[in-house]
Amino acid sequence: MLSTQADLLATLSKDEADRVMALGRPLTMPAGSVLFDLGAPADRVFVVERGRVALTLPMQVGGVEEDVLVEEKQAGETFGWSGLVPPHRYTLKAGAAVESVVWTLPRAALLEHFAARPEIGYIVTRNLAAVIGRRLQIFQTMWLREMQRVVELRYP
Amino acid sequence: MLMLLTILLGSLPVLVLGCALFVRLAQAEGRPTAEERQTTRRALQRPRFFTAGATPPLRPARIPVEALLSQIDRHIRLEQAAAESFLECPTPEGLRSRTLSTLAN
Repeated sequence: MLSTQADLLATLSKDEADRVMALGRPLTMPAGSVLFDLGAPADRVFVVERGRVALTLPMQVGGVEEDVLVEEKQAGETFGWSGLVPPHRYTLKAGAAVESVVWTLPRAALLEHFAARPEIGYIVTRNLAAVIGRRLQIFQTMWLREMQRVVELRYP
Repeated sequence: MLMLLTILLGSLPVLVLGCALFVRLAQAEGRPTAEERQTTRRALQRPRFFTAGATPPLRPARIPVEALLSQIDRHIRLEQAAAESFLECPTPEGLRSRTLSTLAN
């Protein structure tokens, strides 16, 4: 059951988790379909129920712009958190790597629920901070490792 | 008047002869001697300093875009795994660990 596995709903009781998930709806994505584009307005958060969602950024490869994998999200993992975090624009492109099912949770419905249940809002927001923080840590580490290689190449 | 004409007529052959001689000498100066021609030929055949023994620069082999994208994909996955490993146990060595990525090694 997704509500018990989702990182966004960690430490919530099953009932509370189900109530949060009931604010959204599942969306089936055929393999290769695009959920949102880079820069699109972000008004919802997503949780993968089944399959894999590829988060990509454009890169010039051989003079052609290609979508390069940045991160891949699997069952239980949250993405598109710009739906809850200003300035509410997706900073990556999301597409289904394989046929996938994702839960879409609209910001408006979530904020309304959090206003009525602040303790739930606190837990969900704390979980969201953990998701965002993890990505920050991973990418700052990856960035430093790449910079290390650049320095070694330039000043062997 | 008669005297003037006599002088002019007398000096005309000398003038023509002088011009002919001058032209011939000028042409002879421009034409290289056999020795000069041989020297020039040897100089042209001698290998140039900066190109002597030089081989043409190797062009990097162009790989298909699909193969490069696959390498990039693999590189990012390996680097993410290395980053997660570092976060499990942060050490300076963890920031310099090598992966099997063909892009980086």
